[in-house]
Amino acid sequence: MLRYSLRRTAQMVVVVFGVVTLVFFILRLASGDPARMMNPPGQQEEIIQLTREKIGTDRPLMVQYWDYLLGLPQGDLGKSFHGGHPVLGELLKVFPNTAMLAVATILFSSTVAILLGIGAALRANGAFDRLVLVYVSVALATPSFWLAIVLVLIFSVHFDWLPAIDMEGPKSFVLPVLTLAVMLTPVLIRTVRQSFLETLSDDHIRAARARGIPEHRVILVHGLKVAALPLVTLIGLQLGMILAGSYVVEFIFNWPGIGKLTLDAVAGRDFPMVQGGVLVAALAFVIVNFVVDLAYAALDPRIRMSAK
Amino acid sequence: MTDLATAGISPEAVAASAPARTHTLRQLLKRRTFVIGAAGLTIIVLIALAAPFLAPHDPMTQDLGKGLAPPFWAKGGSLDHPLGTDTLGRDVASRLMYGARNSLVIALFAVLIASVLGLVAGLSAGFSRGWWDSLLMRFGDVQLAFPFILLAIAILGVISDRSAVHLILVLGIPTWILYARVVRSRVLAERDKDYVLGAKSIGASRMRQMWRYILPSVWSAVLVIAMLDFGFVILLEATLSFLGFGLTPPTPSWGSILAEGKRNMIISPWLAVLPGLAIMLTVLAINMTADGAADVLDPKLKISVFRRTPLKKPANATWTDLEGRAAASTRSQPVATKDEMGPPTLLEVSDLSVEFPLPDKVVKAVRHVSFDVHRGRTLGIVGESGSGKSVSAFSIIQLIEPPGRVTSGEVLFEGRDLTRISNYDMAQLRGIKIGMIFQNPASSLNPVLSIGSQMVETIRLHLKVSPAEARDIGSQALLNVGIGNPQAILSRYPFQLSGGMNQRVMIAMAMLTRPDLLIADEPSSALDVTTQAVVLERLREITREHQTSLILITHDIALVAEFADEILVMYAGQVCEVGPVRSVIDDARHPYTRALLQSVPRAEIESGKRLQAIPGEPPDPAELPPGCPFADRCVSVMGICRQVNPSQVRVRPHHDVACHLWSSDKDEEKV
Repeated sequence: MLRYSLRRTAQMVVVVFGVVTLVFFILRLASGDPARMMNPPGQQEEIIQLTREKIGTDRPLMVQYWDYLLGLPQGDLGKSFHGGHPVLGELLKVFPNTAMLAVATILFSSTVAILLGIGAALRANGAFDRLVLVYVSVALATPSFWLAIVLVLIFSVHFDWLPAIDMEGPKSFVLPVLTLAVMLTPVLIRTVRQSFLETLSDDHIRAARARGIPEHRVILVHGLKVAALPLVTLIGLQLGMILAGSYVVEFIFNWPGIGKLTLDAVAGRDFPMVQGGVLVAALAFVIVNFVVDLAYAALDPRIRMSAK
Repeated sequence: MTDLATAGISPEAVAASAPARTHTLRQLLKRRTFVIGAAGLTIIVLIALAAPFLAPHDPMTQDLGKGLAPPFWAKGGSLDHPLGTDTLGRDVASRLMYGARNSLVIALFAVLIASVLGLVAGLSAGFSRGWWDSLLMRFGDVQLAFPFILLAIAILGVISDRSAVHLILVLGIPTWILYARVVRSRVLAERDKDYVLGAKSIGASRMRQMWRYILPSVWSAVLVIAMLDFGFVILLEATLSFLGFGLTPPTPSWGSILAEGKRNMIISPWLAVLPGLAIMLTVLAINMTADGAADVLDPKLKISVFRRTPLKKPANATWTDLEGRAAASTRSQPVATKDEMGPPTLLEVSDLSVEFPLPDKVVKAVRHVSFDVHRGRTLGIVGESGSGKSVSAFSIIQLIEPPGRVTSGEVLFEGRDLTRISNYDMAQLRGIKIGMIFQNPASSLNPVLSIGSQMVETIRLHLKVSPAEARDIGSQALLNVGIGNPQAILSRYPFQLSGGMNQRVMIAMAMLTRPDLLIADEPSSALDVTTQAVVLERLREITREHQTSLILITHDIALVAEFADEILVMYAGQVCEVGPVRSVIDDARHPYTRALLQSVPRAEIESGKRLQAIPGEPPDPAELPPGCPFADRCVSVMGICRQVNPSQVRVRPHHDVACHLWSSDKDEEKV
């Protein structure tokens, strides 16, 4: 177990380091001069040079990179080019908003996926199953940003039931979570359905029935305990999709989260902020996947015991 | 990318694929999803190609006076701008058509780049199998470990003048790994196959091997992944354009049209809705095409959304329909009545038939089977796999896997017909009055629940006791089946116990409620020989002690000879011979029973080999003869055997046999 954790940690460090390095150099090589962009057009060269010195882009690239790397372990992610606030503080301020959105999405999506997946599997090839499969294929083809707009047009503009933008109270979660759920549920439903179909034909399910265990317990306890295991891993893997989706959703719904912060920073060439946003995303992704793997082991005694 | 990577395309799933099959267009055209998808896709591509001729206006021409005109069906709309205009007065229909060109071309080239990169990487990795292979695959792992769209945004966001080439590279390069993994595993699976090794030995060069033998099998997989990737890239490109990281304006693409439409979505919602619909329909058409194609081109990929789940064939039923005449003639009579045999009858099965309707045929797994089980006695049911013995047993407790169903007959248990009682009443009987133990003890226990929690659950289901009391009862029950350290076993999981231990747990659980009837389906065949003896001995002791009737289902006639009081021999879903065990063993009348007995030189022989001693195979279910199903393997076959299925005749007290050798049919010659 310890060796496994160490290996995974090393792997996570490599991934995060790679992503951070890649972003660092891509930003600086592919982009124009941020100092020039921060000044009005036609500004004197001396003033632009002063800006460069202020934000530190006048130094050689490798020096900047080395400084950045040295700062990382101490939690120093640099200062925003705009306003000079420490990047870490800004990230921590908005991180809970994205995290809440992600957690709400995962809870809602997995509930829906389990209900629809089980329902479809119990009557495989029946009318409900067909309906669910139609939903899955249409949802897979639906662009999330477009769905968000359609939802806003229907529920905010036409009916005026839900707020269209900003994060204000529980009601404002509805549309962003719905949008992300339509993105996430197709894959989850498919997995639950398939895994449930396989589990239902397992010997132990039939044996449980033969022992007189009531059908609802057979399905919800004996079936679900086994069938839900793949779902746990899948949700970890899908976190990347949720993160990517939250960029879109935060952009549309003006949600003050990591995604919106990063997009704004990209548009304003605020390099340290972009790096910070990507770093948070990368960290969240690898850490959650690590936790998910541990959770899987905890849920499945076959893995838990053999790891001891 | 994350989506595709986790959608079920695992290298393992495709590693074992067969070599390229010859697939025809006809097969594809049979798939409705493929036809609909391909037709839709063709229309979309044709519209995109013909945009210069079809578009009513130039997509870039601005006419500020005509800004935000509604589409023709709305008030104030006109056919001059069928789908209205945007803020700058540009024709939306024309922009959508030209936008399709950009979206499709970008996606097409991105997919081309990805598939070529992936193909080359996968082939070289699979063939080298050395450091190059591990380097590529580790790199791929790292890349898959991070959602690439975030990097794509960062990269594209800082490029100020984005052309189609930038988008193609950013969207195309990252997905190489999806192709590479599948290609690599195909190469690994193919390269050691006989025909490739054969080509090597006759001196075919590496390149020729690749082209001649391996590419064809890789090709279909790459094609299917490419189609799915295509739809995914279109979505991704639209997303990037929408976020403002797509083609630099004013070049239209679906995502950028939508992004522009978003600004005026309150006044002119169609500006945002229409391009989204175009994207959705396109991706849906692509996915349907890919799905339908995957079924035919590469079923091993298992990516289908639309495919109907194939109905599982029941493991023990491979029998096709017999003609009604033949089936009707096998109708048998109950073996014996209560007064004839000592103990009273507990279970009376008469004229039981079970069918499994499959899409293309109806499998008749059990045909007109009758037998009795007496209180405190053991009935052994013997037969090969597929003889219907297990299905008969499952139909007693109404646990036939759907779509199987009982089509005729009744199962009388203490005077109640179990085929007609409600599910609720049946559940009350299961586990209380009728217990069952199964062939694979390890897989018949829930793998993620401890032995203790499964026992406690079962006990508390039937007895109103606290969990602690239930644990004590469970512990005592384990002691009764000869488990010396019950407390330790209770906290274990099934995978931690040996097969024999698991089976004893199963017996203990089944016997918890002192059932009147215990059904044991091949209780010992998954165990090794020494354990078999122990488990069966326990089974015998505990059933004797509680006066439990036992149905012992097995393919092992020696076992039945030793443990059963009565014996029922089944073949092809029907009864061959039935009677008291001594009578049947000492004076077997049916040629099949005799063959079974002759193939057992001694009692403790390795199971499984025995039945192969009977020459021939069970009849092909597709070409089942109208007469006796055993006729082709029978040493005493007569003319009538191939025409009329024999009915049961009594040959000795309580001893019946279904064979023309003993029936009067052969003299009557009725057809």
